[in-house]
Amino acid sequence: MAEVKKNEEPRIGVFVCHCGTNIAGSIDVKEVMEYARTLPNVIVADDYQYMCSTPGQNKIAEAIDEQKLTGVVVAACSPRLHEPTFRNATKAGGLNPFRFEMANIREQNSWVHMHQPEEATAKAKDAVRIAVAKASLLEDLVPKSVPVEKAAMVVGGGVGGMQAALDLANAGIKTYLVEKSPTIGGRMSQLDKTFPTLDCSQCILTPKMVDVYRNEGIELLTYTEVEQVEGYIGNFDVTLRKKARGVITPEEAEARGIVGGGCTGCGDCVDVCPVIKPNPFELGMAPRKAIYIYHPQVSPLIYTVDFDACVKCGLCVEACGDKKAVDLEMKDELMNVKVGTVVLATGYDIFPIEKKFEWGYKNYDNVITSLEFERLICASGPTGGHLVRPSDGETPKRVAFVLCAGSRDNTGVGKPYCSRFCCMYSLKHAHQIIEKIPGVVPYIFYMDIRSFGKMYEEFYYRIQDEGAKFIRGRVANILEDPVTKNLHVNAEDTLLGRPIDMEVDMVVLAAAVQPTAETEKTRRLFGVSCSQDGWLLEAHPKLNPCGTTTAGVYLAGVCQGPKDIPDTVAQAEGAASAASIPIHRGEVELEPYFAQCIEEKCAGCGLCVNLCPYSALSLVEKDGRTVMQVTEAKCKGCGTCGGFCPGGAIWMQHFATPQIVAQIDAFLLGGEQ
Amino acid sequence: MAVKKDYKDQNLAEKLRDRKYYAPDSNPEFLKEVENIGQTAAHMCYQCGTCTGSCPSAPRSSYRIRLFMRKAVLGLEEECLTDPDLWLCTTCYSCTDRCPRDLAPTDAIMAMRNLAFKRDIVPRNFLQTVQLIYKSGHGVPNNDANRAARKKLGLEEEPETTHKYPEYLPGIRKILDHYRLKENADRILAEGE
Ligand SMILES: Cc1cc2nc3c(=O)[nH]c(=O)nc-3n(C[C@H](O)[C@H](O)[C@H](O)COP(=O)(O)OP(=O)(O)OC[C@H]3O[C@@H](n4cnc5c(N)ncnc54)[C@H](O)[C@@H]3O)c2cc1C
Ligand code: SF4
Ligand code: SF4
Ligand code: SF4
Ligand code: SF4
Repeated sequence: MAEVKKNEEPRIGVFVCHCGTNIAGSIDVKEVMEYARTLPNVIVADDYQYMCSTPGQNKIAEAIDEQKLTGVVVAACSPRLHEPTFRNATKAGGLNPFRFEMANIREQNSWVHMHQPEEATAKAKDAVRIAVAKASLLEDLVPKSVPVEKAAMVVGGGVGGMQAALDLANAGIKTYLVEKSPTIGGRMSQLDKTFPTLDCSQCILTPKMVDVYRNEGIELLTYTEVEQVEGYIGNFDVTLRKKARGVITPEEAEARGIVGGGCTGCGDCVDVCPVIKPNPFELGMAPRKAIYIYHPQVSPLIYTVDFDACVKCGLCVEACGDKKAVDLEMKDELMNVKVGTVVLATGYDIFPIEKKFEWGYKNYDNVITSLEFERLICASGPTGGHLVRPSDGETPKRVAFVLCAGSRDNTGVGKPYCSRFCCMYSLKHAHQIIEKIPGVVPYIFYMDIRSFGKMYEEFYYRIQDEGAKFIRGRVANILEDPVTKNLHVNAEDTLLGRPIDMEVDMVVLAAAVQPTAETEKTRRLFGVSCSQDGWLLEAHPKLNPCGTTTAGVYLAGVCQGPKDIPDTVAQAEGAASAASIPIHRGEVELEPYFAQCIEEKCAGCGLCVNLCPYSALSLVEKDGRTVMQVTEAKCKGCGTCGGFCPGGAIWMQHFATPQIVAQIDAFLLGGEQ
Repeated sequence: MAVKKDYKDQNLAEKLRDRKYYAPDSNPEFLKEVENIGQTAAHMCYQCGTCTGSCPSAPRSSYRIRLFMRKAVLGLEEECLTDPDLWLCTTCYSCTDRCPRDLAPTDAIMAMRNLAFKRDIVPRNFLQTVQLIYKSGHGVPNNDANRAARKKLGLEEEPETTHKYPEYLPGIRKILDHYRLKENADRILAEGE
């Protein structure tokens, strides 16, 4: 138990920051500073333009030294921004950094009370008084260092997750890459070409997939999901569910003593399997068997049995022969891994665009989504790369592209945000049909063309030059001619100010993207927040875009918000780098806000043990008595036990009862103690 | 302010009229009034054209609901209130149904019509409708052709309205009188004769 050092005689220094005009614009800083001088225990009070600047920080260090301060209060911005800065300054002055207390008079005051200077100043005085009351009772605390497990986990094997795993492994860190589907690759493997360079998506992705598969530092766990997460940065204890795949790898065969066995990817089983299901990889536009691979380039090249569809006829077992790769009795397996840090890269789904009735998706045959377009235009897709009308197999000559389909939509049916890659891929789609279908005309219905990336505006220029027709207007509705199955696209050409009824052969909806269905579950497992729209929340939108508010968990790719492949890969490299830092340092410091047992008061009742949501408490025998003991590395300082203990035997470091009572008193009694 | 040009030929003068948008043409109060009466945040319109694309009036006329939203945002009160197109909305609410910004263009139009009526700018047929409602409770009263058609369909000749229950007409008249609608309609029609 840390030594509880009571201050013999508190000596507090108060520093009020102007933050330029951010604070001084509505709060009378001088008045607050003068007021601080009148408070009990305050030895010195000062103000400064920017407390976070070097001269500002020096003021703190110097005052500690000259005035023999026992506590420091800075009234400035949010502790989330500068608490670490001022703790360092406190330390530089020779005081324990936990003797510092911050009064937020910016985010919670000057910014919200911009037009009420008097009330804002009064509120700032309250905040300073409360902070001084706490600072007078603060004690020395020592952060706890814990060793970091030398391994990392990446959840999601799309291009983002693959990149993060490669970087981590290449930095010498053992990396588990967990992918829920039978292959890595993600959405990018469904794409035909990629803007703005038009490289073939599979051609640039497959080598990366092979790298991942071959990399000795990566343990690839496909068809696997995260079941449970315990622990904290440096020591995550993750339970994984390896779903029953029905087929074993050569390594697994060897382990079972089957010489030369295991799946070789020959596909002999497929021909005999009598069950036919739609292939989700082809968005249901092509069939697969109950034993299947998504596409020829899968990695790992191991077949998978869909046990929901399999009739257990056993024909595949026979066809597989001596390889003995098919095991129809296989069950899910749980496995445990310990990792120091985690990167989430779980990607996205397509918004169910049939919910926008006016565009007729799933109602009219020839209205398709952009992802379906990618499969139809892809040489390895269900039509061998021929874009055809689902209604009659004819090649379309007039194709309308509907941009912002379900994006930038505030109706509640749709997404308020911009999906960020649909403008660019729709330009790409226009190019692809011009290239493949002589005489075709792409009509692009748009509100704005967002071509912000490097070489993107140039790509827009190129596609316009190739003959795509741009119509500035959002599509109001689409009607189908029941005989020809042609479509009438109704919109306004807002630049002409004229309504249009355009008859086309096919419509491609650039449907919005949304977080995957499991995102909610995954983020809860890892304790990560999400923003209003459901995407995983970064620690800071500008200054910490790869981190999360949970130490040791990082984000990569579209799971954090829509972004194209270049941005996904860039963020993945950032996340991998961030995730490698604690591992390379070897240990992390935990903030010492742990519960402490005051053993003389503890009755050993043990009621707190079950209350702790982090299983940090236990009962132990000490000097012939039963008392509670805290595992500090597990305690998150939530205060559940401290608030509960009937004997008052639990001391919450840095948030101790006397400290909080002093704050409340200071507020209610207005300074009289 | 529009610049004055002096062409001798009236037609030419109209054709070459200065049509720039000048800041002083704008009355910001107009936007506030439209938003207040229509209870819709017209200033959030991003000019996508979904409304015009949905509008049954648009292909049959020069009426562009999107342009009215634009002019509301710019505070172009005179242009809106004196434009005869203002009266071409059928109040079908298709635009309101589909507006991706969740606005109610229909209600913005209704607000502008209210403001126009305050200045006695109302097409005569609308005023005649007011008179008809006062008289019969209907904007489009029943007639013999309709009665025959209803009979053929196995319906009663008169619908379940003031046609069948004329005792409710005084109530309707009371409402119209309260708002001085009939009185104003009569007055404006008489003045225009
Ligand atoms: C029609 C279309 C065309 C596009 N064209 C282009 C283009 O030309 N150029 C370009 O730059 N971008 C393009 N994009 C965008 C591109 O698809 C994305 O930028 C990219 O796929 C993002 O990669 P990711 O790794 O973040 O996510 P994803 O590709 O979605 O990968 C996520 C992976 O995580 C797995 N996963 C999800 N949840 C879990 C879980 N709970 N546990 C384990 N695994 C999980 C998924 O199975 C998947 O394999 C296009 C997008 C669309 C829709
Ligand atoms: S056992 Fe199942 S997977 Fe194998 S062939 Fe029969 S249905 Fe297909
Ligand atoms: S990227 Fe373009 S098409 Fe997609 S939502 Fe944004 S503006 Fe609309
Ligand atoms: S549909 Fe809505 S946002 Fe679009 S132009 Fe009309 S009023 Fe504006
Ligand atoms: S409510 Fe009026 S403006 Fe809107 S679509 Fe119908 S007729 Fe057009």
